[in-house]
Amino acid sequence: MNDVIAGVGALLDPTILLCLIVGTLLGTLVGAVPGITATMAVALATGFTLTLEPLQGLAVLLSIYVSAQFGDRVPAILVNTPGTPASIATTFDGYPLAKAGRAGVALTSSALVSAVGSLASILILVFLAQPIARLALSFGPIELFALVVFGMTMMVGVSNGRIAKGLTAGAVGLLLGAVGRDPISGDHRFTFGIPELTSGLPFIAVIIGVFGLAEIFNQIVEARRGGSEAPIEQLGRWWPDRAERRSLVKPTAIGTGIGAVVGVVPAAGGDIAGIIAWDQARRASKHPERFGKGSLEGLAAPDSASTATMGGSVTTTLALGVPGDSVMAVMIGSMIVWGLQPGPALFVQHPDLVFSISTIMVVATLAALGLALVRMQGVVKLLKLPLNALAVVIITFCMVGTYAVQNSVFDVIVMLVFGIVGLGMRRWGFPAGPLVLGLILGPLAESNLRRGLLIDGPLAPLQSPIAATLIALSVLALVAPAALRYLKGRSKPRVDAEATR
Amino acid sequence: MSRFRTATLGLTAAAAAAVLLTGCVDRAGAQAPADAFPSGDITFFTPTQAGGATDLTARTIATELESELGVSVIVDNRPGGAGSVGMEHVAGLEPDGHSIAVLPVEVAMLGHLDYDTDPADYDFLAQVNSQPGTIAVPADSPFETLADLVAAAEAAPGSITISNAGAGSIWEAGALELGDAAGVEFQGVPFDGGAPAVTAAVGGQVDAVVAGIGETAPAHEDGRLRVLAVFTEEPAPALPDVQTATEQGFDVVIGSWAVIAAPAGLDEEVRSTLESAIQVAAESEAYVDFIESSGNIPLFRGAEETSAFVTDEHERFGALLADR
Repeated sequence: MNDVIAGVGALLDPTILLCLIVGTLLGTLVGAVPGITATMAVALATGFTLTLEPLQGLAVLLSIYVSAQFGDRVPAILVNTPGTPASIATTFDGYPLAKAGRAGVALTSSALVSAVGSLASILILVFLAQPIARLALSFGPIELFALVVFGMTMMVGVSNGRIAKGLTAGAVGLLLGAVGRDPISGDHRFTFGIPELTSGLPFIAVIIGVFGLAEIFNQIVEARRGGSEAPIEQLGRWWPDRAERRSLVKPTAIGTGIGAVVGVVPAAGGDIAGIIAWDQARRASKHPERFGKGSLEGLAAPDSASTATMGGSVTTTLALGVPGDSVMAVMIGSMIVWGLQPGPALFVQHPDLVFSISTIMVVATLAALGLALVRMQGVVKLLKLPLNALAVVIITFCMVGTYAVQNSVFDVIVMLVFGIVGLGMRRWGFPAGPLVLGLILGPLAESNLRRGLLIDGPLAPLQSPIAATLIALSVLALVAPAALRYLKGRSKPRVDAEATR
Repeated sequence: MSRFRTATLGLTAAAAAAVLLTGCVDRAGAQAPADAFPSGDITFFTPTQAGGATDLTARTIATELESELGVSVIVDNRPGGAGSVGMEHVAGLEPDGHSIAVLPVEVAMLGHLDYDTDPADYDFLAQVNSQPGTIAVPADSPFETLADLVAAAEAAPGSITISNAGAGSIWEAGALELGDAAGVEFQGVPFDGGAPAVTAAVGGQVDAVVAGIGETAPAHEDGRLRVLAVFTEEPAPALPDVQTATEQGFDVVIGSWAVIAAPAGLDEEVRSTLESAIQVAAESEAYVDFIESSGNIPLFRGAEETSAFVTDEHERFGALLADR
């Protein structure tokens, strides 16, 4: 108990509160600008925070980390552009909700479930850090491969019934993911002598192109044809009503659970958690047909999942000294310089620090939630701009954000090209989700499978119980719905739809 | 409608102006004469993402250079292509001293791995640190010494797996060098960066990891890993009790390092101004503390010595990476 008092008491310094406020504002802002990720913001802030006291520095970095997860939902919901990769799955239902005039409810619900996910996962950090950290270490390359394969099965779900087109887009995404150096041999693949391509297609530029830019292009095309699709003017109610609040409970629980587990796994973060949670919530829902067309449930699951990864990631980082995601990889560097080496010894040498860190995260979550609820009035003003003005603002943000990722004009060109590709896909009915999933998950699956094969030989995926279970679940996820339809066609339906999970 | 059109035009113009301004930063000091060096801000390129060890090296040195030279030193990250994107960018800039870069060990390696990177494109100003290589095994590993590990690899060639930071990384080369010195074959397993490679060893998924001392020393100290050998001539300050590979009979000396360079063709006076400013920065307390706290070795080697050192390393990696 003394550690709790010491840890929380250490934060009663006004400068730390100031650091928290600065971090929260910064994080919300960078989260809302497509292209600038939490990892980048934390990395850039590191240059300044190294000279601060450890707790002050941690307050800045952690509150950026937490609040970026709130800011990035705003462009995802309003303009179909994920602010950071963690909100890719937010666009699946967030944007359709906004188009249906329910942006207000979507933004509020998103902020609320994000806070729930974040707070729940911080509890894990406080109470279960040590046992959970051991689980994380059993995730080697082959287990990570199996988890990624499980994530890929949702390409079917996100295709919204257009399965052939969805899988085509997914296959193209996997092919695009093969661009760059071979992860094991280092040979160049499809790089055409362009140095920028040796590290693969810049996926943030691709995401901004096919989601954000393509949407703007599409609106311009529609407007030229006589303006059938009006921009979002109406935000509707802000506060979800009773029935809506009740519908949020189940997907939020699913999302939080999945996010916490994925967060613990080293190197897997909010993007993968959001994608898996969206698909699992769809399977568990009473209204799976509404997913992808503006379902509040489909918004709640990924948003709670991606914030719930934070507690898990911090747990893995502190308890093992192993980065739980890319932001934590940057933070470990700072902590070492401060003399706070993450790892099992940290809990012995600085037990109060764990409570300081979790308190900082709780306060940052509440501050970000408050900011999210207050700042929405400003969002309304932005959306009242006419389409042509709004388009310029969004395109400018997309270009600046994309350039800022690597200070690279090449990335901006890639974004523009994929904006046009995305427009074509949209006009011909190919969903963009599977393309991006293929691009992100393909290289992860490939490199981890090949590492696993190098280590354990050709039977590696079957020898690991975790990997074998995850692969069996993936097969089940693909086969079960079809098998059930077949069974239902032949005899009386006797298997409950829940069994497909 | 016309009001909206005006607004649109205004916004477009503002956006264009912003983009133009950003583009101009690089060239701000380009036309200045050499006799007034430095006549404007200095851009300090780093071919890595913000936040990594190389980037923080650049940022710490930049702060010290600012007070030494009296101009702003702006760190500019140009990551991508294993560092080749940033390196090739710097090689093509005006050699006026207003564009300098921190270059990691890859500058001597990438040319041998099908990249267009060549140390001859740069004037080297100084070497500012070195990070010794280490080999470590999981804490519960049966291998107690380097000889145990080599013996196991001799008994079953290719069965001993060693993780490293990536295909073509210095630590993959380190494991190759050890295999060459011991006359055995290890199975290298490239990961996506040093941290996941070390994690794989902590989790027991691989038999050993070759990584920088900054990454293995903390894990050695709290008992998650056991460092078997340090790849240096003298025992390393971060792990004084661990024997070097040479002491154990395997002649392996390899490590990562960082040098500061400018595009080739620098004026002699500009070079010596920069060289002495970097010396002050590299010997400053802030820089030495930062490098030591991350387990690495701060040092300063002047321009001439550094050029010879990089040339040697370039030749050596050519021979080593040829049989990759």
